[in-house]
Amino acid sequence: MAKKLTTFLFVLLSLIVNCRLTEKWHTSTILVFDTVCEIEIFCSPSKFKSAQKEINQIFSEIDVHFSPGSEDYSSSIVLNLFQRALEVYHNSKGSFDITVASLSRLWGFLDKSSHVPAPHDIQSALEYIGMEKIEEENGTLILPPAMKLDWGGIAKGFGIDLASQALIEIGIARGFINAGGDLYCWGKNPDHQPWNIGIKHPRRSGFLGVLSISHLGAATTGDYQRYFEANGVRYHHVFNPRTGYPAQSKQSVTVIGPETLLCDALSTALFVSQNPEEILEKYPDYGAIIVDSDGNLLSLGKAYPFRSME
Amino acid sequence: MDRRDFFKTMLATPLLAPLLLASKTTKNDCELYLIADDPQLFIPFLLKELQKFAVPYGRNFTLLNSHPMEKDLKQILFQTGWRYAQKPLQADLCFSFSRLRHKALPSFTLVRDGRIWDIRFQKLDSLWREMKKNRKLSSCLTIASFKKTRLDLQAGKYVSIYKDGRRIERVSLDEYFARSFNTLRGKITARVKDGKAWVSESSCRQKICIYSPPVSLAGERIICAPNHFLLEIQGTHTIDTVIG
Repeated sequence: MAKKLTTFLFVLLSLIVNCRLTEKWHTSTILVFDTVCEIEIFCSPSKFKSAQKEINQIFSEIDVHFSPGSEDYSSSIVLNLFQRALEVYHNSKGSFDITVASLSRLWGFLDKSSHVPAPHDIQSALEYIGMEKIEEENGTLILPPAMKLDWGGIAKGFGIDLASQALIEIGIARGFINAGGDLYCWGKNPDHQPWNIGIKHPRRSGFLGVLSISHLGAATTGDYQRYFEANGVRYHHVFNPRTGYPAQSKQSVTVIGPETLLCDALSTALFVSQNPEEILEKYPDYGAIIVDSDGNLLSLGKAYPFRSME
Repeated sequence: MDRRDFFKTMLATPLLAPLLLASKTTKNDCELYLIADDPQLFIPFLLKELQKFAVPYGRNFTLLNSHPMEKDLKQILFQTGWRYAQKPLQADLCFSFSRLRHKALPSFTLVRDGRIWDIRFQKLDSLWREMKKNRKLSSCLTIASFKKTRLDLQAGKYVSIYKDGRRIERVSLDEYFARSFNTLRGKITARVKDGKAWVSESSCRQKICIYSPPVSLAGERIICAPNHFLLEIQGTHTIDTVIG
């Protein structure tokens, strides 16, 4: 009996040791939310397969509910994210607003027909903007006719939070998920240091600086990601919901904090707002690295380790 | 900041020339010169404002020589989340003290890379005016030196090209390279010349990849999502990934 137990323990121990020994860094890139998503995690090959499955499942679900054109207004995942978006809408005094979809359409950002619309068309589009116009009845969002939702400023961060949480729950202790400009990183990097995250410079090649963080999310909103130029003016895709025109006072805003969802939404809110400090006062765990329209670098809110390259 | 006032005060000391020279040559990012007998009253506000300019990087401070207000200064820094570092090398912020030969009005100045930093448009300006208005003459000069926080990233050595998540090409940045790749959504052309890599043609709709400036630093990348295409510079680097 004792011999059997010893053999069993030996086999069990070998399995555990073997599993630990086969742990290594895995990287993969997948296409989600219309962008390339990079994943780097430290685990065994079998766990990597489970991780990929988890990530694909979560991102597919996010895609189904929140991609442009989706008219799901009643599933629990949508209602849940709507509440989170509404909270940022109120805290930012409307600078973050998921009802700006009609502006993106009007300015031609959705179908490659980019142009500066006539002022009266912009005024008409503003009538369909404002999250306070949406009501919730019997577990369904009721939108005014012609209003559309644009989840682009929050759903990616939400998906990254869900995916990274799922990976942590299956025992992956180190890694990052980076979907375009939104990221969550946890544990230590391959050099056993915090993760070094380069922030792209909004106007030239190279980096603005490097964040050294762990167990944190980060997201960037910039005027350089999607834009067109007309008569020497740059028109980009981040709209001020009050004016109907692209927000003009900043080149890029990166927000760092515990939830990527909030980093995502706050980066848009701070980009649009004339008073970003006031918004960050409501989010004491969040900090921002901002490049204003003159190219000046500012850091607001909670300070996270950041080395500038300016 | 009124430069004349600053120079008038500093010229009254033997410190100006060596300090400006030092700020050009040392590994400090920025130096704060504060004339005040009670520096602990102003330091927390000044540090908070400086943080907006991404200065400093860490939260460790030290004192390089004995300071008449050492106890109060340490106490206020502890209260605002700073930690004391025994060794100057571990500190992100080093305080030193000098006694002015002639008493001067309380004021402060910031010097970065050997140049006086203009603070007229910031909140710092109102503090400066207030200090000058309400305070009696002081003889205590506190210098706060912030360790350099800027990074010098190296140029990369290779460019790796990924399609559908798999690396399909690795080219030295010293080479001349131009190749088109067929993708699920069409075609994309990558080029390498004079140590830089870029995307010159793409069948994608938004053309973000083409508008991206050429990349050369280790860790930099250009992504074309519709073509599921990634071009990344490789070399000795400290960047794990890039956002923005």
